Amino acid sequence: MPAILTEQLTKHFPPDIKAVDGIDLSIAEGKIFAFLGQNGSGKTTTVRMLTTLLRPTSGRAQVDGLDVLARAAEVRRRIGVALQEAALDDMQTGRELLVLQARLYGVPTSEINERVGGLLKIVELDDAADRLVKTYSGGMKRRLDLAAALVHNPKIIFLDEPTTGLDPIGRDAIWRYVEALNRDGGVTFFLTTQYLEEADRLAHEVAIVDRGRIVAAGSPDDLKASIGTDVVTVRVPGDDDNAARAAEVLGRVDGASDVRALEDSVVVYIKDGSTAIPAIVLRLSEASIPMREVTLSRPTLDDVFLRMTGHHIEADRSVTRPEPQRSE
Amino acid sequence: MSTLVASYHLMIRALRESRRQPGVEIQNIFIPLFFLFVTVGAIGQVSGAAFGVENYKGFQLPVAILQGTAGTAGMGGFGTVMDIERGYFDKLMLTPAPRLALVLGRLAADAVRVMVLSTIIMLVGLVMGAGMEAGVAGAIVFVLVAGLFGLAYSGIGLSIALRTGSVQAAQAGFLVFFPLLFLSPAFAPKEVFSHWLEVLATLNPVTYVLEGQRSLVLDGWQWDKLAYALFSIAGLGAVTLTMTLMALRTRTA
Repeated sequence: MPAILTEQLTKHFPPDIKAVDGIDLSIAEGKIFAFLGQNGSGKTTTVRMLTTLLRPTSGRAQVDGLDVLARAAEVRRRIGVALQEAALDDMQTGRELLVLQARLYGVPTSEINERVGGLLKIVELDDAADRLVKTYSGGMKRRLDLAAALVHNPKIIFLDEPTTGLDPIGRDAIWRYVEALNRDGGVTFFLTTQYLEEADRLAHEVAIVDRGRIVAAGSPDDLKASIGTDVVTVRVPGDDDNAARAAEVLGRVDGASDVRALEDSVVVYIKDGSTAIPAIVLRLSEASIPMREVTLSRPTLDDVFLRMTGHHIEADRSVTRPEPQRSE
Repeated sequence: MSTLVASYHLMIRALRESRRQPGVEIQNIFIPLFFLFVTVGAIGQVSGAAFGVENYKGFQLPVAILQGTAGTAGMGGFGTVMDIERGYFDKLMLTPAPRLALVLGRLAADAVRVMVLSTIIMLVGLVMGAGMEAGVAGAIVFVLVAGLFGLAYSGIGLSIALRTGSVQAAQAGFLVFFPLLFLSPAFAPKEVFSHWLEVLATLNPVTYVLEGQRSLVLDGWQWDKLAYALFSIAGLGAVTLTMTLMALRTRTA
């Protein structure tokens, strides 16, 4: 039985916004699944439907074998959820927040203190446990939010952009917790992300979502292998239609299976890229198209994303700055 | 988990939040007391001759209590909006706790806060010389009636908060109280009103709450007035709880 199953899951908002448009998913137990897409692609709406916060317009979804509409309360008991941007009560202490969470999940009273204490230790917040949440930094809030999602030992955890806004250290800490919980506890993760490296590092399976539809799915390695070629990127001045002209020229190079023109670059998918580069440079020179840089790379998830959607993923890289009086 | 137990835990959390923001509570005590002093100072000397009320301090004490109640209960909606804005309301909705408890916990906390506030205002009123004809038991009932009114009234702000998620809109829950107060016998008995105002006051549930509480202060135990007060609160509560539950449903639409 898959941990998460959807069939033609759809959510439309009035007047005619198709936020999620017929998504089919089957995620096996014990896997880390990454839903990769940029802002507004339908990731969060999908999570909200799977976690019973939002009613689908049509289609079906099951979590741990339970229909999310018909058996919503049971679904909620079996899942842990950390929503986009740590959703916490600033006026409680970290410990109070976890204790309340444990009580609402029906954790036996005799076990609450031990479990909360253990979680605080795992997420390295035991020293700050009795401070108000409003004094926590962004990274500390994310870790507390993750602990809150774990307080009832769920089988399946949904993380909606768990590292957006975190600095590299905070991001790495969350990644380590996710990997450890999956490896040691067999917890299934459904995480949404706009970070390619996050999906690449953590996920066993990735689905790329664009405008509410899944455009590619598979393991990161399979997706990258599906490109089947090397990737040559030629940066050109971003004016005078250089990129479009270059794409037209390079489409005629032997072995080029696909060419994509972007604002100031052209991406050429080509077999044996290292031997093709001289021909690429020659063709562009003959056509009097100026070049700034030519790079050769193995395909990344970004290349998969580009190939499937026609544009690069534009991730929000802003980092939440800790306030001066706050400390980790 | 039962609705009652979950409501209790959520009530404790909301009360803890209030305890950590004493400034908010102080204004809900200060403003009604200010109006009590000013109104008694302005009208107290002539109320006997003007409309036959000799103990105007006692006459005004329930008005101060209801003003404080409206301010306090309005904050319930504000707290919920803050939960919605922070995303914490979603976190609570994601727990297996019955969703009715998310509403009842907040309403119960408002009722407790109103009772604490009412006790303080009542004690100030007693020190001023307002009196309490129904004695100690009457004072307890006086505070309980205020708490029940707070429970029913806070449903207005809470339903607006759940439907709109807007701080400004939730504060309108407090503003609703002003027409209700001024269309009641807050400053003079209904008998001296113009006919149109008397009709509106008769239709206004706040009138019966005021008259019920006032009876405890001025006359002692008048069961019919208390019964009308409780029926009015029950009617208001039924309406506001229905509004709140309907608003809660819209959050998962």
